[in-house]
Amino acid sequence: MMLRLSILFAMLCLASLMIGVKQIAWTELFSFSADTWLTLTASRIPRLIALVLTGVGLSVSGVILQHIVRNKFVEPATSGGLDAAKLGILVSLTMLPNASTSSKMIFALIFCFAASLLFILIISRIKFKSSVLIPVLGLMYGSVLSSIAEFYAYRHNILQSMQGWLLGDFSRVVQGHYELIYIVLPIIILAYIYAHRFTVLGMGEEMAASLGLGYAATAALGLMLVSVTVAASVITIGAIPFVGLVIPNLVALKYGENLSRTLPVVALGGACLLLICDIFGRLIIYPFEVPIGLTAGGVGGVIFLVLIMRGVR
Amino acid sequence: MSTVAKIWATLILIILLALIFLFIGSDLDFNYLIPKRLMRLATIVLGSICLAFSSIIFQTIVGNRILAPSIMGYEAVYLLWQVLLLFVMGTNGLMLLGVSGDFIVSIVLMLAYSWALHHWLFPRCKNDVYTLLLFGLVLTMVIGTITQFIQLRISPGEFSVFQGLSYTSFNRSQPETLSYGALAVATVLWVSRKTLPVLDVMALGREQSLSLGVNHPRYVKLYLALIAILVAVSTSLIGPTVFMGVFIANIAYALAGSNQHKVTLPIACAITIAIFLVAQIFVEHVFNYKTSVSILVNLVGGIYFLALTVRTRGFT
Repeated sequence: MMLRLSILFAMLCLASLMIGVKQIAWTELFSFSADTWLTLTASRIPRLIALVLTGVGLSVSGVILQHIVRNKFVEPATSGGLDAAKLGILVSLTMLPNASTSSKMIFALIFCFAASLLFILIISRIKFKSSVLIPVLGLMYGSVLSSIAEFYAYRHNILQSMQGWLLGDFSRVVQGHYELIYIVLPIIILAYIYAHRFTVLGMGEEMAASLGLGYAATAALGLMLVSVTVAASVITIGAIPFVGLVIPNLVALKYGENLSRTLPVVALGGACLLLICDIFGRLIIYPFEVPIGLTAGGVGGVIFLVLIMRGVR
Repeated sequence: MSTVAKIWATLILIILLALIFLFIGSDLDFNYLIPKRLMRLATIVLGSICLAFSSIIFQTIVGNRILAPSIMGYEAVYLLWQVLLLFVMGTNGLMLLGVSGDFIVSIVLMLAYSWALHHWLFPRCKNDVYTLLLFGLVLTMVIGTITQFIQLRISPGEFSVFQGLSYTSFNRSQPETLSYGALAVATVLWVSRKTLPVLDVMALGREQSLSLGVNHPRYVKLYLALIAILVAVSTSLIGPTVFMGVFIANIAYALAGSNQHKVTLPIACAITIAIFLVAQIFVEHVFNYKTSVSILVNLVGGIYFLALTVRTRGFT
């Protein structure tokens, strides 16, 4: 199974390198003309790397959040994390107009972490949980955070630009403007190392404690990994909702919930979804592009709706 | 306070607010400023009546207090239709279809959506409110994504026309839309005037109302149709309101101290008008247009909605 997914992934990567306004033919690739190589190294390869890292990062952070909250419909977009990261960037932009990427990153990280933590604290105090209540609360929480952001942006006259640059879009990814996304790489490795701990975390606080796992510390670590991923992806690419929700659910439907076994599948699946959505977005109104926030958001949303209806029946 | 006294009190409050809204800082300029503000006032009143009626009747039919038409995707569908219209026919097409044509097609579309909800979604979700709510929220997001996608494809001129439609505001209405809206609302009020007690019975639930001799399925259809018309009017007049419907309906229940629709409906209308007037006065005179009604309404309504959902689930 991994084999089939890997082949699909490799083909998608190749297609992603080939497709674009500047046509690259097979033959040119091996003739090593300077022009072709410039296109590849300055734009296509960075884009491919950003796509894969974002896809893997988002779907893995979805899995981690789902184990912390113990709800299969939770991910950065349905727990306020995504909107909090946007708010953080906005605050850093207005407070430090010449903010460097790293200071924006720190703001986004802090906001995302604090908001996710608050969300987890709120829902841990609700008595009667139902599996769909948590994402409902998360979506509303997110919309409150984003209306605070709008209130703030409107006062500073940056509402329009905010809506533009916070929509996930890979067309901005060129050499020199995407390197922050590499921070996702160590996060993925850490997530893989701690995978079994997150699996135990998903069994509940008491179970985790009796198995000798520091619940709070592990949850905090997981939240930190998620926040770093979300902050880095929102800054370099923009918001892409539902990837972290859809992929883990589809994988869990087929392969169960043992993280150390399914995590690679989830990671590859996330990358494939983003690659497919990106290629689709590049082709549909060729030579223009549809931002990935729209294609992945739309596809993810529709799959989410199907999952909701499946859950009911 | 008796209910009559309450209704009078809210009525006086609205009249006071309306007078403040009309005359504050106007220098009694009857040529330009006051007529403009009268238009805005009429928009607010009409939009509020639509919003209050549609929200409360919807909640009665669905049998719970945290759903509203706007959350279930009605407004998203309306906006999608508007942007599709601009995309396919352009601004000229909008002229060609005219205000009345656009209006009628919107209502038909809303009716179709109501029908789809009633026949497809409600039976599937049984009585699980949160599933319905989640479905509504995600559907609104998905339709919003499609709308944004089409926005990318339309020309900048059409884009600005659409941008004006996609947030809450009281400045967009023209005399023509206003008169169509008034006509539609008058029709709806006339139809539902005799059936308010039926709504009270329907609030008891399907089985109860059937055993009390109310033709439940027939009235559900009637009311869903009325809601469709009201939502079309309110969205075309004041734009999407998101969580506002839930907000005002719940305040109305709390204030009215009665579940009779002849009490809750007028009070809800009054509260909506009052909130919109206060928001508009704030935006104009306190924030000096540094914020918009849309943002204020989203902020307050969203926070309230979050608190309401948490509280109804037994927050410790």
